[in-house]
Order: sequence, then C-alpha cells, then structure tokens
Amino acid sequence: MRAVGHIAVNVFKESVRDKVLYSIVAFAVMLIAVSYLLGQLTAGQDLKIIKDLGLASIATFGLLIAVFIGIGLVWKEVERRSIYGLLTKPIRRWEFILGKYAGLMLTLLVNVSVMTAAFYAVLAYQGWGVDALARQAWPAPPMDPALLAAIALIFVELMLVTAIALFFSTFSSPFLSAVLTLGLWVIGHFNADLRNFENVLESRAAAWLARGLYYVLPNFDAFDIKAQVVHGQHVAASYIGLSMLYGAVYMALVLTGAVAIFARRDFK
Amino acid sequence: MRTALALVILLAAAVGLQAVREQQAPLASPTTENLLYVRSPEFMTRAALSYDLLLADVYWIRAVQHFGQTKLSKTQGKQYDLLLPLLDLATSLDPRFNIAYRFGAIFLAEDYPGGAGRPDHAIALLQKGLEQQPGKWEFAQDIGFVHYWWRKDYSEAAEWFTRAGEMPGAPNWLPALAAVTLAQGGNRESSRRLWQELLNSADAEWITTQARLRLSQLDAMDQIDTLERVVGLYAQRAGSPPRTWLDLVRAGYLRGLPVDPERYEYQLNPTSGAVTLAERSPLNPLPSREQPRR
Amino acid sequence: MDAISTEGLTKHFSVGFWRPRPYLALEDLTLQVGVGEVFGCLGPNGAGKTTTLKLLMQLIYPTSGRAEILGRPVGDVEVKRRIGYLPENPYFYDYLSAEELLEYFSALFGHPPAERRRRTSALLDEVGIAAERRLPLRKFSKGMLQRVGIAQALINEPDVVFLDEPMSGLDPLGRREIRELILRLRDRGCTVFFSSHVLSDAEALCSRVAILANGRLVSEGRLSDMLAFRIRGWELVVSGLTDAALERVRSSAGVLGATRLGPERYALDLPLTVPPERLLAELVATGAALVSLNPLRDTLEDVFVREVAAAPAARGLEGARG
Repeated sequence: MRAVGHIAVNVFKESVRDKVLYSIVAFAVMLIAVSYLLGQLTAGQDLKIIKDLGLASIATFGLLIAVFIGIGLVWKEVERRSIYGLLTKPIRRWEFILGKYAGLMLTLLVNVSVMTAAFYAVLAYQGWGVDALARQAWPAPPMDPALLAAIALIFVELMLVTAIALFFSTFSSPFLSAVLTLGLWVIGHFNADLRNFENVLESRAAAWLARGLYYVLPNFDAFDIKAQVVHGQHVAASYIGLSMLYGAVYMALVLTGAVAIFARRDFK
Repeated sequence: MRTALALVILLAAAVGLQAVREQQAPLASPTTENLLYVRSPEFMTRAALSYDLLLADVYWIRAVQHFGQTKLSKTQGKQYDLLLPLLDLATSLDPRFNIAYRFGAIFLAEDYPGGAGRPDHAIALLQKGLEQQPGKWEFAQDIGFVHYWWRKDYSEAAEWFTRAGEMPGAPNWLPALAAVTLAQGGNRESSRRLWQELLNSADAEWITTQARLRLSQLDAMDQIDTLERVVGLYAQRAGSPPRTWLDLVRAGYLRGLPVDPERYEYQLNPTSGAVTLAERSPLNPLPSREQPRR
Repeated sequence: MDAISTEGLTKHFSVGFWRPRPYLALEDLTLQVGVGEVFGCLGPNGAGKTTTLKLLMQLIYPTSGRAEILGRPVGDVEVKRRIGYLPENPYFYDYLSAEELLEYFSALFGHPPAERRRRTSALLDEVGIAAERRLPLRKFSKGMLQRVGIAQALINEPDVVFLDEPMSGLDPLGRREIRELILRLRDRGCTVFFSSHVLSDAEALCSRVAILANGRLVSEGRLSDMLAFRIRGWELVVSGLTDAALERVRSSAGVLGATRLGPERYALDLPLTVPPERLLAELVATGAALVSLNPLRDTLEDVFVREVAAAPAARGLEGARG
C-alpha cells in the first residue's frame, strides 16, 4: 500500500514540473479575474456572470487537465519504457494503477483549490463596498458556501473523468483515449435526453436501447448543480450525497476495469 | 474470477444508484427566464456551426420533455413558458422541422392547464413556418384551426381555410369548410371534420391521441344533446322530469344506462334536466359552447 | 536451490490485427543457473534474449512453461525484493534527477529515508556519476543513463541481478569499470545473469553461457567445457626459413597457410591432421629454428558462429521444425 503513496507523489512531482500545467492554471485564473470586468458590463447581472464564469472555468479547465494528463498516465510509461524499471520493483500491478490515479487526483485537488481561491478572491472583491439595497437583489451572497458544494461535485465529476481517461490509457494511444473519454463525457451530459428518447422514437427496440444506455452510461449531469447554486436555490444534502455515492461507485467500477486490463498486459 | 465478479457487482451498483437517483425529488428548477441561456435563435444558428439539425433535435426533445413534465407536475402555478422558446429554437435551426410547428399549434394553443393557453404563440410559430414554406397548406389550415377552435374567431378561421384551400395539394373540402365556417360559426360537424383530418394525418402518436380525445368529446356532446332531448320528452309526457336513468329505461326511452365514449355513466340532474359527464370521465372538460367571438 | 530455473518456457506473440499470425519469440527454454554464477545469455539480435529476461521479470507472460527465481515463481512480490534488473536502453523519468530516481526506487523497497540517502550516495559513487547527481535525467547521455540503470538495479543489494546488455553505450573505460563491478558482485556472492551480443565480455566474465538463436537454445554449458580440449590446430612459428624450405612446406600436404612475420620468420597454420613434431623436425633439418608452438582453440566467436549458423531458422510457420 505504501507503494501507492510513493507513486502518487511521483505523479504529482511530474505534474508540478510540467510547464503545460502551469499555463492551464494561469489561464484559468486569468479568466476568473476577467469575469470581474465582464460583470461590470452586464448591468445588474454582474454577480451572476462572475459565478457562472467562475464555476464553468473550474469545471472546464479541470476537465482539460483530467483528460490530458489522464490519457498519458499509463501510456507514457509504457511508450517510453520507464515502466520496465518500475514494475520490476516490489509493487503489484494494481498498486501502480492506483498510485497513478491518486497522483493525478492530488494534482487536480491542488489545481482546483488554486482556482477556487482565485474565484473567491474575485467574489470577495465584488462583494466589497456594495450597499445593502443592491445586496438584497442578489439571490445568493457573493461568498456563498453553497458554491463550495457545487465545486465539490465538480471535483467528483473530475475524479470520474480521470478514472475513465486512465482506463483508456491502459490500452490505447493518447489520441484515441482523448476522443473516447471526451465522447463519454459529452454523452454523459446529455444522458437525461436519452431517458426521454422513448417519447420521440418510433421503434420500441430503439427506445429500450436508449433507456438501457441511460442506466449504464456514466451520468455526468448528476454532478451539475451550478444553476441551482448560482440562483440561490437549496439543494438537498441527500441529493449531493447520492450523487457523490454514484460517482464513487462508478469510479470504482472503472478503476477495477483498468486494473484488470493492466494486470494482463504484456509489455513487449 | 474475482475481478469479473467485482466488475459485475460494481456495474449493478452503478445502475442501481442511477435508478435510485431517478426516483428522488428532482432539483428545483431555477426561475425559468434564466434557465434558457440562449434565447436568440439568431445567435444559436451561428453558434451551431454544422450541427444545426442535431441541435434542433435536441431542442425538440427538450420541448417535448418540458411539456410532458409540466403537464404531469402537480405544482401550483406551473408554467409552460419554455415551450415556445424551445420550439422557436428548434424550428430556427431546422426550418423544415414540420412536426415541431404542428406540436406548437396544438399544445401552445391548448387551454391552460392542459397546454400553454397561448393561441397567439401558436399562430406566430405557424406563421414563421409559412414564411419558410409558403406553399405548405397544412400550416395555413392549422392557423385557421387555432382561430376556429381556441379563439373562436370564425371569420378569421374561414379566411385561413380559404387561403389554405388555394395552396397546391390542398384537399378539396377546405373551401367548403371555409364557407360553412363563415355561415354557421362553431358548427360541430366542421369541428369533427377538422379533428378527423388531423387524426388521418397521424404524424405522431400524441397528435392522434389528442384528435381522438376531441372526437370523443364531440361524440359525447352529441350524446348529451340527444339525452337532454329524451329527458325533455319524458318530462312532457310524464309531467315531471325523470329522477334517474332507470325511469327512462322503464318507460322505454332507453335500452340501458347511458355511458359516454369512455364508458363513464352520464349524470342526470333531476331538477334541471341537464345531462353532464361523470366527474371522473377523462373527457372532462368538454369544449365550451359559448357564443362565438366576432 | 538454483538461483534461476526455467522449464519449457515458451512465448508466442500474435502479430497483426486483422488476421493475427503467431510469432515464435522463445521456444521451450529449459535451463538452470546456480547461486553465485555469472551466467551469460548470448545470441544474435532477435534471438530471444530480451524476451527471456522479460519473462523472468514477468513483464510479459509465458504462453507455456514455468520459471522460478530463488525457488519461487517469477513475479512473486517477495522475489522482486531480492532481485535487480537493468533493462536494455534504459529510460527513466526525465523530470527527476539521478538522486531522486534512486531515492524513489529505494522508497519502493520500504527503506526509511536515511537508509535511502545512504544507499543512493554509495551507488552513485560506485557507478561513477556522483558529480551529476542533481542533474535532471533528461540531460544525461546514453552512457550516463546506463550507469544510472545499473545503480537502480543494485539499490536493494539484490541476490540475483539481471542485466540486459550492460555494456551498451559505454566507452572502453566504462566497460572496464562495469566489468570490474560485475566481478565484485560475484565476489559478494551475487548471481549475475546477463545478456549480450558482445562475446569478449562474456569470455571475460562468465562461468557458464547459453547461446540462443531464432528463439531456441542451441548450446549451453560451462565456458571452459565449450572451449577446452577443442584444439583445432597448431600455430608453429619458426625463424630462419629459407625460401626453398618455405616452398617445400607450402606444397607438402596439410599446411593451411604461412604468414610472414619478418625476414625468414613465418607463422605456419597447421590443421589437426598434421602432427607438428614431424614437420618441425624436417624444418630444423633445413636449418630453421623454433620460436613458438601454440595450440589453436576455438574462441567463443567460432563456437557462436558455428552454432548459430546451424540453428533451425523457422519461427513463424507451423510444422517447419520438421
């Protein structure tokens, strides 16, 4: 089990020393700052724009990091042959997979935290020196703790995306992995529409297929409470809990698959 | 194989949780004017790049879903306010999305709470469709239909039926229908004709369901008229109105207890002699028989 | 207990996506390596040496057959604690320095931090890259990477070490250093298994060798057994050989060749069939003098070339072994 920790730390070290990652995070922070300016243009919707743009940036840039590092996690090691040195040490193959996953999780956690801090800084600035009358018009306060709930769910979503990217990375090239992972993410967001296909489809068989896919494919919509939080609407703790549980189970499923594939691989 | 077992269990758990999630109370919908970010069809048609038709489909599915969910919902003051924007977007992205226009025609015009209760929206949407396809007589007919059935503006309806009748491919009974409408207003025969026509065109299940409902309602209205006449006849002959249907059966006016097309027994009001549908009949509420609007 | 033993170890690969054909990388390898031996696995490129090593490291799985290291099945995590492996053309992590890499691998063995530092320093000195310890590995030359590779193979003071082409990328000075290192390992009681296609290294270091060709074991045994008592001829060096005597020698049966070493000084190449004593007597009678008489033995290269040439060639086709 120790091995998982060491491998994770190593993945984190690699990402910290990777200049591309810095660029992504810097860009995200910049965007969040810019949202403040945009907010000034929208006459009354400024807080909403900042919150919307901030949450969307965290979700999008987090997604980019999760996918583009995730798809290389295993593939790079195999391609560059550094895996030969590592696997011959006393670690089990599943420890390797989990270690890589934990490392990317750590990286994402740090990045999301940095973006969240920037986000709250802008929000704090926005809330500064605004009179009580204007405050009343806001559906939710600027430094709303509910935003953290939305960000937490975004993080769970990112964990699931990373698991999927890692899964594909165990057997396919980066390009294909990226396409498949992003494809699943897009479908997962339209999952709710799959549910309603039977209302518009003629063929019963096709409607059943759509229904079946709705249940089996990862439902990323479950992690999206951005709209509710921005408008100050209450989201039940049970909803959040259930979504997190769903994310955890699905993650476990995908990681088990990744371990199963990786355990059988020949490294020629 | 331990791994295979683990995979199966986890998959089952994931599917199970998805089902549980479905059962839980849905998230509060934010106030709807903010939910649809993109309201401008002009923007959307540009942003869609080459995926317009696909996006049109997505908006269409959402329109249907929005309508269905709102209809089934039990919240007070529920609104169908996304219906027009969604249909507008779908038809802007795909101007030939005929079924979307027709859906709008029926369910935008339909009285609240069964529909949006906005015949003006329905007409606007159909007119947009006509601009794109000027020769499509079905749209002109549908506009006339909205004027006829929901706005009870028979002169407007007649004008549209005439216009539709002049378009290529229009059926030959349209001009005749226009004439009858103009002359007799809310004639039940014409109504039946229109709904039958809609039933025959059968673009989708929800159209036929709606048409069948209307036709049954018209049948019920006919039956009520007949029953009221019979009751009146009995009252004349017997000196007092019948108290229950059995009186009429015993007197030989009826062969059995009268039921509406949905098999619910008609209700007789002994004092007024009026016949009405059973409260639980799905044919309620019957289309009103108020005076036509001029 | 043998340090390494394999039994019928076989590996087929499937080549091609649409209609996969089998490719025989290794067929039916059975051998044993005793504790403390230095064992050379030799063969031309593509013979199956790297495949053998990877099967022993369980980087790939055998199609059939078994392998054991120190009495336990290959791939057992406990076994991995006691072995070291140097891959061919090693590549590690560019973003780490040599020191960080060794400390990382040391940590994977469960060594506490102080122990990691001690071992890392010692090994960096032993392989000669102590000066570049902080440099990121992306800046290392091939030779330096090779040394790092050897260092990481020894980080756990293993009982059995597996080296794939250990001398590759090293200059002559480097090769001598590594040769000495291997001998030191042997002196410490470590078993060394290495693969190479450089025969002089094997000749200098190994006690036993195996020769592979086309995926099969074609020869195996103690080096001395393979080379000893296989005198294939004689080299007779004489001086004072007159031209006339030379002519007579050349025309007489059997002499394979005469190489001029200087004025009237020749090295005569004699096959086994020509007894050197009689010829010597004749030459002395003509006035020549003996400088030296040496038996000619097969070098490892001769053995190698002969065995490889004779090896059955087919490796992708069914039933071609005959």
